[in-house]
Amino acid sequence: MQAFDQIQELWQKHEVEVKVSADEMLQQVKKEVGGLKLKSALNIIAMFASFLSIAALWIFFHFESWTTHVGISITIIAIGVYTLILYRDHRLIAKSDFTAHPHEYLNNLKTYQLNRYKLYNSLYWFYAIALSLGIIFYFVEILSFFSTIQKIVAVGLTFLWILFCSTILRKAVIKREKERIALLIEKFERLSEQISMPD
Amino acid sequence: MEQKDKLFKQIFDSNSKKIFHLCYGYTGDSDAANDLLQETFLKVWQNLDKFRNKSLISTWIYRIAVNTCLTYLRSEKRQAKDELTDNIIENKIEEFSEKNEQVALLYKCISKLEENDRLIITMVLDELPYHEIADISGISEGNLRVKIHRIKQKLTELYNQYASV
Repeated sequence: MQAFDQIQELWQKHEVEVKVSADEMLQQVKKEVGGLKLKSALNIIAMFASFLSIAALWIFFHFESWTTHVGISITIIAIGVYTLILYRDHRLIAKSDFTAHPHEYLNNLKTYQLNRYKLYNSLYWFYAIALSLGIIFYFVEILSFFSTIQKIVAVGLTFLWILFCSTILRKAVIKREKERIALLIEKFERLSEQISMPD
Repeated sequence: MEQKDKLFKQIFDSNSKKIFHLCYGYTGDSDAANDLLQETFLKVWQNLDKFRNKSLISTWIYRIAVNTCLTYLRSEKRQAKDELTDNIIENKIEEFSEKNEQVALLYKCISKLEENDRLIITMVLDELPYHEIADISGISEGNLRVKIHRIKQKLTELYNQYASV
């Protein structure tokens, strides 16, 4: 028969080990908030790099046919507009800090989630169509230097690549991002419920 | 910012063990306790500027931890994932039993208590002064004394009941 004092003694004797250090905790806190921001920024940098590469191609190579110029223009505009949309969304999560303004951050995160959904659905198809159109115009001049087999391979691979990006890859990205943002929202919602706690 | 980081580290070092024990007592699972500890200190960090020394910082942190614990398992997703504390405790029993049967039994008994009672008794076991527990849990000290007496009795009964099986 044990008394409460013995139970208390048992509790106090049980040594618990905290698995994280203060430094790790601080890192974790900052990483949690910055992870999504970093991924979004990398996405924009990659898009901007594509924009610059195509612009360099346009500037440094001499193209004779008007179709090539139209193709590159369409492609570069599509990438530019898509990058600007990505940047607009990035600002939503970058301008507020969860640790400083939790409610604002949570609202922005929800808007970001909605915008990303639009980006990968209706807007994506505009982007894919514009990109395909640009490539078709671009190929008119470029493919004239290739043999028939090379033409078939180039068109076939480009078509398959666009198809792959629009279907399998797009769905996988949507799924992964949806889960990631939903988890963040769930976590931040749980945290926000207690932000206005009394001091 | 460096000042804040430094202060946070000091606060973490002096409070994390007790908070972890509280979370461990509540969930009976070290991984879940670790998650709760991290959530608690995330909130501590973001609210550090708002802390106005009206109460002890440890009391303030305990209050955050208690709220975190109560909200944590109420989240539908978490419930589905972890199937509530009882199941976590049951699953962890085997792991405990080899090391310390009595401690495992104690955690099991704590898990049989009501959510709020679980947190209160954890603080009692950690010897927090009653006025602090009252402050943290938002119960008047008079009511708290009665409540603690009842929880102590219940826990002792449960412990002896399971120990004799």
